[in-house]
Amino acid sequence: MHETGLAADAYRIARDAADARGGGAIESVTLVVGELAAVEPELLAFAWEAVVAGTPDAGSRLVVEWRRATQRCAACGEIAERAPGSWLRLCPVCGDALAVTGGDELDVRSVAFEGGNA
Amino acid sequence: MTEIDVRQKVLAANAAAAEALRNAFREAGTLVVNLISSPGSGKTTLLEATARALRDRLRLGALDGDIATERDAERLRRQGIPARQILTGGACHLDARQIEKALAEENGRLSGLDVLFIENVGNLICPTSYDLGEDFKVVLLSVTEGDDKPFKYPAIFARAAVTVVTKADLLEHVDFDLDAVREQVAALNPSGTFLTTSSRTGAGMAGWFALLEKSLAGKRESLAPAVR
Repeated sequence: MHETGLAADAYRIARDAADARGGGAIESVTLVVGELAAVEPELLAFAWEAVVAGTPDAGSRLVVEWRRATQRCAACGEIAERAPGSWLRLCPVCGDALAVTGGDELDVRSVAFEGGNA
Repeated sequence: MTEIDVRQKVLAANAAAAEALRNAFREAGTLVVNLISSPGSGKTTLLEATARALRDRLRLGALDGDIATERDAERLRRQGIPARQILTGGACHLDARQIEKALAEENGRLSGLDVLFIENVGNLICPTSYDLGEDFKVVLLSVTEGDDKPFKYPAIFARAAVTVVTKADLLEHVDFDLDAVREQVAALNPSGTFLTTSSRTGAGMAGWFALLEKSLAGKRESLAPAVR
């Protein structure tokens, strides 16, 4: 359960960004989380509530944008039909080995807050 | 209401600390290996066997992450290599700042090494996210844990450059489809290395030792032009 630490890091980044624009209370923070980031979105949202409790940002929302990892074949491009939780070793079209790309995102995408200047 | 783009990595602070460690390890020519697995997969046992095999040829050392007890570091010190326990006090992983602090507190006893092993807290999930400045991650999977683990914990198997199946001497007693595991790992990590070992019988261990020596030589070689 490392989501508490991650939520605290995300909160620090979001609060600093809002402060830099003279912003007030945070309304929502959007995180991009990849399928291979080893992070559980529901635990992250739960941890967020605990992290902001007792701060002026209590009640703010954490929004998670989920990103799947993609499997690509050098010749045939992205493999579309992969079932969630399953991974292919070879391209179903040409039989070549596939590469895994993306899915490791763990980024603070945006922050919405009261007042301030965009 | 104002909405602004931030686009910052949540782990940016850890990444900065890891980069500083990586630079220091590069300068020292130390190969750093981050070992990750479930509790009881045999990380410490693999390192004990590694110490016995390589301690006369290479300067080895270890950092051992655990929630409680000094047991793992003591086991490795008994094999004649310097080892320091990092007690996380409940945290499920090591982060780069803990590595920095532990190395500073060792005051040189864990510097100038050929290979530094970082034995992470036993956990297949949380340690995956934290860069410790290592050259590569190694994931261990013991045959008693079951052959469905790579797809169940895809993040670590996709990121670890090396997968080591441990306790292979027990293969005949358990339903563990080694080929299925090899296929899953190859799907997640086509360029990864897959080893099957038994620290108890020594089977497959030569491949692990060779991988360490080759990785160290490769690192030193890549540094050579800068050193000259």
